[in-house]
Amino acid sequence: MVLDIISAVLVFLGAVLSLAAAVGLVRFGDLLSRMHASAKPQVLGLVLVAVAIAIQFPTWATVTTLAIIISFQLVTIPVATHMVGRAGYRTKHLRRSMLYRDELAEAVDRAEAREIAWERQRGTGTDHHDG
Amino acid sequence: MSEIVLHSLVIAGSVLLAASVVIALFRIVRGPSILDRMIGTDVVLAAIMCGLGGYMALSDRTDLLPVLIVLAMLGFVGSVSVSRYVSKSDSMTPGAEAGALSEFSASDWHMPRDAEESSPGSTSVPQARPSDDVTEIADPTYDAHADSGGEGEGTGPDPGPDDAEHVSDGDGQESNRGS
Repeated sequence: MVLDIISAVLVFLGAVLSLAAAVGLVRFGDLLSRMHASAKPQVLGLVLVAVAIAIQFPTWATVTTLAIIISFQLVTIPVATHMVGRAGYRTKHLRRSMLYRDELAEAVDRAEAREIAWERQRGTGTDHHDG
Repeated sequence: MSEIVLHSLVIAGSVLLAASVVIALFRIVRGPSILDRMIGTDVVLAAIMCGLGGYMALSDRTDLLPVLIVLAMLGFVGSVSVSRYVSKSDSMTPGAEAGALSEFSASDWHMPRDAEESSPGSTSVPQARPSDDVTEIADPTYDAHADSGGEGEGTGPDPGPDDAEHVSDGDGQESNRGS
């Protein structure tokens, strides 16, 4: 019975994290801030729920399947969030006034300068490709 | 005593999960861009996973663990495909096509059009260029599987994937049912 209450408390904490993410999703005014809010239940909430399941069923099959789920989520959530953030940065869905510094802008400027130089070199070298 | 604590915890967690799903749906409806809607969808999916996990933990259902794996994979694939779609539409603007990486993508965009113009008699032409092949579309053997009401509308050939909404608006329910 104590284990039931412990796992119920863990599930409740996961629900609290999910509600916090939803409230942050509405309250925050920026794409990157919303991403920051929405990453909490995807990792920590799912870890809490998985611990609750592992407390209830401490067998090898359940625990290894939960380990697979958690490791998969830990690997894929940063990738998906990185892709969403990159698409948001490229389509300029961010408030510049909310950023303290933009370190990616310097890298983008350097890459654009390198691309322009490369384009100029290619344009003088081979003309038959454009004509 | 412990029964009351357990039940109140379960009911409070269910109410919180339902409230989070409703608030995330509000963000999905109101979100200014498609990326905000994607983040809202991720939060809804995380709430579904938490609720499913809680249901598995508190009522003896360990056979639902593969559903959890499938939901995790669905969230990843959805986020990556939507953000790739947004980045692709951004890289098609003419200012972004001046680099080493976009040189590959530019040739990738132009290559099917060149191949299509070099061989106009292939089978994929009626779907790709709908404005040229009115007589071929009127052939009943081609039109039989596409839509049954296509001859009565008189607006043009088989619309292809881009004009499907427009034809379904003008044609009614028959084209939706036939295709």
